[in-house]
Amino acid sequence: MKFGGTSMASAETIRRCATLVRAQDGHQVVAVVSAMSGMTDALLELADAAHHGNRVRMHALLGQVHELHEQAAADLNAQDAITPLLAQLDALVAGISAVGELTARSRDAVLSFGERMSSQLMAAALEGVALTGHEVGIVTDDHFGEANPLMELSRYQVAERLGPRMASGEHVVVTGFIAATQHDVVTTIGRGGSDYTATILGAAIGADEIWIWSDVDGLMSADPRIVEDAHLLDHISFNEAIEMGQFGAKSMHPRALEPAAEYGIPVRMRNTFNPECDGTLITGQAPAGGTVRAALRLKGSALLNVSGAAMVGLPGTAARIFTALAEVGANIQVISQSVSEAGISIVLPASQLDQARTALERQLVRPGIARHVDVQEDAHVVAIVGSGMAGVPGIAARLFTAIAAREINVIAIAQGSSELSICFVVHSDESAEAVRVLHAEFGLGGGTHE
Amino acid sequence: MRLAILGMGHVTRALLQMLAERHADLYRRFGLAPRVVAVADTGGAAVHDTGLSIPELLAVKQRGGSVSALPGVGLPGLSGKRVLTECSAEVLIEATPSRMDAPQEALGHLQTAFCHGMHVISVNKAPLAAALPALRELAAYNRVEFCFSGTVGAGTPVFSLAQASAAGDEVLGVEAILNGTTNYILHQMHEHGSAYADALAEAQRLGYAEADPSADVDGIDAATKLVIFANLILGRAATFADVEREGIREIDPGRLRAAEAAGRRLKLIASCGETLRVAPQEVAVDSPLNVSGSLNAVSLRLRYGGEVTLIGRGAGGPETATAVIRDLVNIWQRIGNSA
Repeated sequence: MKFGGTSMASAETIRRCATLVRAQDGHQVVAVVSAMSGMTDALLELADAAHHGNRVRMHALLGQVHELHEQAAADLNAQDAITPLLAQLDALVAGISAVGELTARSRDAVLSFGERMSSQLMAAALEGVALTGHEVGIVTDDHFGEANPLMELSRYQVAERLGPRMASGEHVVVTGFIAATQHDVVTTIGRGGSDYTATILGAAIGADEIWIWSDVDGLMSADPRIVEDAHLLDHISFNEAIEMGQFGAKSMHPRALEPAAEYGIPVRMRNTFNPECDGTLITGQAPAGGTVRAALRLKGSALLNVSGAAMVGLPGTAARIFTALAEVGANIQVISQSVSEAGISIVLPASQLDQARTALERQLVRPGIARHVDVQEDAHVVAIVGSGMAGVPGIAARLFTAIAAREINVIAIAQGSSELSICFVVHSDESAEAVRVLHAEFGLGGGTHE
Repeated sequence: MRLAILGMGHVTRALLQMLAERHADLYRRFGLAPRVVAVADTGGAAVHDTGLSIPELLAVKQRGGSVSALPGVGLPGLSGKRVLTECSAEVLIEATPSRMDAPQEALGHLQTAFCHGMHVISVNKAPLAAALPALRELAAYNRVEFCFSGTVGAGTPVFSLAQASAAGDEVLGVEAILNGTTNYILHQMHEHGSAYADALAEAQRLGYAEADPSADVDGIDAATKLVIFANLILGRAATFADVEREGIREIDPGRLRAAEAAGRRLKLIASCGETLRVAPQEVAVDSPLNVSGSLNAVSLRLRYGGEVTLIGRGAGGPETATAVIRDLVNIWQRIGNSA
């Protein structure tokens, strides 16, 4: 079971999580915990403040970290474990401040304190033992900040170390997000975070199920803030969950789903604050039924249109575009090109728009390969997701007929060959309506879905 | 090439002997001049950065002593792991006894070597059977070579045959006799009508079987080798726990007689098809797997090429030592090519 930051917000919520672990009579449970809510961001800022010699900010942040943990520790009677960790953090931050240097490696060391302390708090609530990801055997490469697990080695070591402890009935709490290199240097695993830790551990011990506790019931057929009759998806496949991973912060990162998908371990997303709800189950095969599972939108995107007659039939144009975008670190969300080859459309996060535009103008317009880079800000990506769509003719026709009937203008379209999703770009004013139309068209309303 | 050798059993002694005898030959043919810069046994270690004297090492073992007693170079009580972190070797030869019930110490040796950028040759099967996928991952991550051709078939180049076959064809499955002791026992029972206990006692007298024959007769040794084979040749991320295993302990003579009546022989067969399995099975009298005495046999089923079988001795100090030298030459050539 993995508990997210909001579930670890205070002594009270931590106790609630401990109750959820204890409630699983007859099952052995390993708890994986995130840092207390907001703590990872606070520690990042703390590291930066120390680095830049901003002493006022540094002391204010350290004070916050101390206060939050000391209070929770007092409530949970965990001072003995927390006090030395806080002292270590103080020393580390003082060191960074003194040398005025912050490497990725020392940033990871600072970040690790969030989970190291929250795991101690949870262990106190559970009367169990807190271990770091490193202590249970997760080994990563040395890409600090975004370390990749050595999966076979981690799986072997975790099985060796965690197996006996679980068999003895001990309550084990493991730090999410943090691990270590083969030389025992602390790393953080970046994208996927604590969810990823949970699925790695689940795969290693051959868990029956992996439960991801957060503050939402699970994955929905649409955003309930824009679609009134959106319903909770009770069972979807790994492929669908990975496809939905881009839409919304509360879904799991595809990277975190990978170990579970590879070893066929069901994942269940549940709500700490509504444990009566069964949440969303994710397995290799979801029950057949609806062709479309969900209608989703991705906000805050922008569309770039690179066009020019000179691009037609010129080999390597696409490569130049992608290289230019990669050089500025732009994350491409949707790509589409017409067969005329006179234009390529790219959707990317609005925050990266300016950099991307400049890069394309410099590398394509200036040498005369493309004539224009047109920009449309306020673009939203709308998508329908569902593995049932594969091989079913007419889905796209239904989609666009419904959209056209509302006179919503479609700017660009893309579908992957996996046929797991179809996505298209509309103006931001029209995305909510587009989602509502599709949600109704494919019968996703509560209880009545196909 | 600077070598660190952990474990001073009969394989290491045969290896040292061979390194001394073949020194000029290895240098002339491959430009390879191995120097032993560290060795460790249960009593401690001996370390010398420009090379230990092989005759001195062999002499101290001949007297039944520990290498740590050697004057000037001996370090009593130094653990294998410490030796690896403190010596300047480029290659570790892990030759401590295979202990299937406790692979941790040897695993630690391999891990330490990989972390310190050393190439590894293991003749110890235990850590491989427990965690071969993990070890190969770690070696690849650290960009070092990891060889263990002596663990299956000893000097008989089983992996080379299988890898060469797998390259141009597809290996569908494997049936093999991977344990000489049990083959000897079954052979005696079939051909000389011996009772199980007598055949086992004879195997022990000849030095084929240990005083505690469990590893052989319960199929543990064969299962261990099967796991290594399946990982390397068939690309299965399998470990020892994945093998279905049935040994020949106190085997019913009736089964042997029934097999004989049908013109067949009972053998302890390690097979890898859908599942990994070690169990007594019947083979035809004229099957290439019907090998006599303590021989091993590995029969590959290829998609296009049909059946290919390699027969040879599967154990012994000098035989295994030749496998170590084979691995050493391989490493030497591969790192030479990549440099």
